Formats: sequence, C-alpha cells, structure tokens
Amino acid sequence: MKFDDKVPIYYQIKNYLYHEMMTGALKPGDKLPAVRQLAVDLTVNVNTVQRALGEMITEGILESQRGKGNFVTMDEERITQLKGKLVMEQLERFYEQLHALNLTDEQIIDSLKQYIAQRGQQDDQRLSN
Amino acid sequence: MTNVLAINQLTYKHNLKTILNNIDLTLETGKIVGLLGENGAGKTTLIRLITGSAKGSGTIAVCGDSVAAHHKSHVSFTEQLRGFSSSTRIDWIAEFYRTVYPDFDGKRYEELITFLQIDTSLKLGALSKGMKEKVVIALTLARQAHLYLLDEPFSGIDSMSRKKIISSIIKWKPADATMVISDHYVSEIAPILDEVVIVKDQTIYAHKPSDAIREEFGIGIEAYYESLYEGGVNHD
Repeated sequence: MKFDDKVPIYYQIKNYLYHEMMTGALKPGDKLPAVRQLAVDLTVNVNTVQRALGEMITEGILESQRGKGNFVTMDEERITQLKGKLVMEQLERFYEQLHALNLTDEQIIDSLKQYIAQRGQQDDQRLSN
Repeated sequence: MTNVLAINQLTYKHNLKTILNNIDLTLETGKIVGLLGENGAGKTTLIRLITGSAKGSGTIAVCGDSVAAHHKSHVSFTEQLRGFSSSTRIDWIAEFYRTVYPDFDGKRYEELITFLQIDTSLKLGALSKGMKEKVVIALTLARQAHLYLLDEPFSGIDSMSRKKIISSIIKWKPADATMVISDHYVSEIAPILDEVVIVKDQTIYAHKPSDAIREEFGIGIEAYYESLYEGGVNHD
C-alpha cells in the first residue's frame, strides 16, 4: 500500500481498514490478519498497526478476543454509524474547499446537482461506447 | 527495562575536530528509529560509539550496562563485512558468526536466507551491492539481540532488494528489541519508522515520533528533515 507521508500512518491504516469494511472485503465477524502480518502486508511498523487497531477497538469497530485475535464487530449498528461518520468526513472536506472558493450554500448545492447530472451522462456515454 | 539505550553527555573528537558535542539520547525498547543526517554528520561515528568500537567521553549504557566491552553482546551490528577477504564464502561467514556469537540463531538465519534468496555458496567478492546488503541483514537479524544497528542499508541498492530488506526488518525484528537505521535519504523507509533522530551541528538536533511530526506540522518526514537544514520549521 502507498502511504501519504504527510498524514499520520496509523490514521491511514485505520482508513484503509474502514474502507475494507465498507466495500465488504472485511465482513462483520471476520478475523483480521495477525498484527505482524498486517504490518508486512502494508509495509509499516508493527507498533503503528497496534496503535491503529487499539483505537478501532476503543471505537467498538473491532473486538479483541484474548488469544484468538481481532475481529470485525458483529454489531451492524456500529458499522452503519461508521459509514455515516466516513460520509460526513468526506462532506466536511468537500464543503470547506468549496466555501474557500467563496461559494454560498445554494451555489454548492446547485454545483453538486449539476455535477451529478453531468457525471451521470458521462458514465452513460462511457457504458454505451 | 524500558530503555535499551541511554547516552549521557557524550563527546567525541577526532584529530582535534569535534564530531559529536555533549549529546544525550535515550531510546526505548521495541522501536524502529531512523538516524538521519547528512554525510559526515556523525551517524556512523555514533553507531561505532554505541557498539564500543570507538571511544568518547561521557556515558553510553546499553540495557543499563555502561561497560563498553559488554555492548557487543547486546548489540547486533555487522560492519560491512570488512574483516573478511573477498574469497570468503557466505556460509563460512555464517559459521564464524555461529561460533563467535552465542545468540546467533541458526533457524532464524536459514529463514532469512530463504526469504532474501541468498545463495550461500557464493564468495563475498562475487556479490552485487544489493546482495551484499542482504547478507549483512541476514547475519544481523539472525542474532537475538536487544539493539540492532543498520548503517545505511539502502545506499546504492536496487528497489527490489530494498523492498525485501524492509519486509525482513518488519518480519524478524523481535518485538522487544529496538532497531536503529541510519540513512541520509528517508522517504523510502519513512512508513516503518516509529521515531526519527536527526544528527546535525555535532548534536542530536531533533528526536521525535514520526506520526507526531506528521500530526504537528502536516508534512512528511523527508520534508521535515529538509526543513531543519533550511531553517523552515520552528521546532523546540
């Protein structure tokens, strides 16, 4: 995996695992690879993986079972909450960047609608080609 | 024991020139530490002082033991295989290590040799730079030490060898051991570093956790390191 050196690595590991959960690559109840294996797979430090997993356990997204390893929570509610949180984070970034371009709230909504409509057409064209 | 290394007021002079001036440095167990600095900043000197190969004033304690002669038993460091002639076979060097170091673990060595794809029947003189560096890594990590020192393991080697070496560090560094990796080019190893120590102006100019640098300054390790040379980041 390629990391952005400007962003804390533990944070990027968390985002990577969240993403795996959202796409279904990691399902509720799935066991995560061992810490050292994850570190080797992602080419990062074992301590950094441990920090990322530790925070996800505190958040209730992962459950640690003594001697067995770490598992994705079976609590669907938690996963839904996580998805909501990830969406809000993306929106926050998007909103702040457009605000920085001096767009009003209405202009942001209009631009987004316009974009989605255009994007839909483009994707349709791409499919028909 | 939480500190694997404690350096106090260490000064080293060579030919009346001060290389390291009154430095303090403490490293905790279980970390991977990047030792960064320009060529000639004193990184190799510091490593040689830690192993006991060079002598300065001040104290250096490894695992709480400040007797320099004892350091070699706690510290695993392979100084570029300089002591061996170019006609020496790799398996002979491994035999020598097995004899000299009681903590040399033959099983770990075999695993490392297989992982790094080293042909041990080759002679030292026949090895490419990348292959030689892999041999150094295999010999260094085959020992069960508390402190591992790697002096510029990535300089001038191909990217495949580099990736293999980085993976073997993550796989084989014991959880309770600390590893110091010196380099003057950091971006390729930045993701595996717990913390960085920057040697500049004859002193430890900065010592910080890598993720703290990213969090505090919003910049990468390479950019932070360069900024210290340009005087860009205001640090305490």
